[in-house]
Amino acid sequence: MAILSIEHVVKKYGAFTALNDVSLTVEKGEAVAIIGSSGSGKSTLLRCVNDLERISAGRIVIDGETLADTKDGAAVYPPEKTVRRICMKTGMVFQHFNLFPHLTCLENIAIAPVRVRGRSRAQAEETARELLAVVGLESKAGAYPAQLSGGQKQRVAIARALAMEPQIMLFDEPTSALDPETTNEVIATIQKLVARRTTMLIVTHDMRFARESASRVLFMDEGKILEENTPQALFDRPQNPRLQAFLRSVR
Amino acid sequence: MDLQYIGTLLPSLLSGTVMTLKIFVLTLAFSLPLGLPFALAAISRLRPLRFLSKTYIWVFRGTPLMLQLFFVYYGLPILAQKIGPAWAQLLRMDNVTAAVVTFTLNYAAYFAEIYRAGVQSIDAGQHEAAKTLGFTRWQTMRLIILPQTLARVVPPVSNEVITLVKDTALVTAIGVAELLKAAKDANNRDVNPTAFFAAAVIYLLLTFVLTLVSQWCEKRFSRHEQTQEG
Repeated sequence: MAILSIEHVVKKYGAFTALNDVSLTVEKGEAVAIIGSSGSGKSTLLRCVNDLERISAGRIVIDGETLADTKDGAAVYPPEKTVRRICMKTGMVFQHFNLFPHLTCLENIAIAPVRVRGRSRAQAEETARELLAVVGLESKAGAYPAQLSGGQKQRVAIARALAMEPQIMLFDEPTSALDPETTNEVIATIQKLVARRTTMLIVTHDMRFARESASRVLFMDEGKILEENTPQALFDRPQNPRLQAFLRSVR
Repeated sequence: MDLQYIGTLLPSLLSGTVMTLKIFVLTLAFSLPLGLPFALAAISRLRPLRFLSKTYIWVFRGTPLMLQLFFVYYGLPILAQKIGPAWAQLLRMDNVTAAVVTFTLNYAAYFAEIYRAGVQSIDAGQHEAAKTLGFTRWQTMRLIILPQTLARVVPPVSNEVITLVKDTALVTAIGVAELLKAAKDANNRDVNPTAFFAAAVIYLLLTFVLTLVSQWCEKRFSRHEQTQEG
């Protein structure tokens, strides 16, 4: 069953078209990577899935519920409350982590389950500790984000998103703000999720990561998906000349 | 310096200090919280709210505090008389009440601006992260944005608080028996400026203590920014 279905999505900023008729489905248990140069629209696409941006036309369905549809040529959204409920099926990991600096790691992870899902504090903190163990940071439960390295912050951010038990995890260039050493620990964490069959949509600049971790890779350019294939096929036998040029440039 | 003379001044200076502190504390107790709704209104999505708040801030920051004080104490009763006796009853205030009301309204405008700037200085990523976790706008403000704002507004708020200590001296103009008035009366009575020096020392002591308090607050509210544990 498709967890995420994006159909003919168009996103315009004034005269500029950021997404130009993009369609994509993500099945349960898939890890889909999106690659492409800066400004190709891949982050915008991700941000449309959880309502950080609103589409101009097209349709987005998450886990069977319609987040956005098109009526008379314009995108329509359900009421704010419904949008919030649907978007909670997604978990987001940002390039710059966006941890809450005034809260400890444990509180960062537990606050949304308590305040949004209505879990008890004890229960949420227990889950938070389990998730910290999953990302290998049990010892940092009481630390503030300012006391962590970039890679550690990103792992806490991953745990925070997982705590809401999303149907699909969205990663927006999760390793782009990290130095090479800490990049590896974050990649190892994401690969752990791949092994657990967590459904994921990952925008990345890290080709090795896309190749090793994704079940499917999409190449975006100028707001369009130009090629889509298994990592093996896409990286070894790229068909589209723009993809060939892109892969040459990043090697 | 005649210590014995200073001794005779102390009772009136100290009771003046008590009045100064009373106006100071009451003003802070009301204006610090009152600034927040004005700050939130100033960044609201509702245009009329924004307009009201911005106009309020503009008027109270844009006119002299002394004018506002005179208006509330001398002007309002006259205005109220013209509207109706019920209003006149309501708006007839003794000078201490008039001082606290005016100072509260005035300082709330300054605090609102400080809070607004503080809220808007928080990174957009914080709003986005909160949104993706399912927080409502109000939850985001209350649980994520305002607690972080607190640490940032301590220095500018401290500035205003120290200014307020000195601004309380303005109420001498409507005859409130606070510290400056006590000093001025002593000077006029004894033809001796010693009381002014004594009053200055008391003001300096007050602002010194407040500086310490503000430094403590700054540390306390930014604990999470320290890079070492513990």
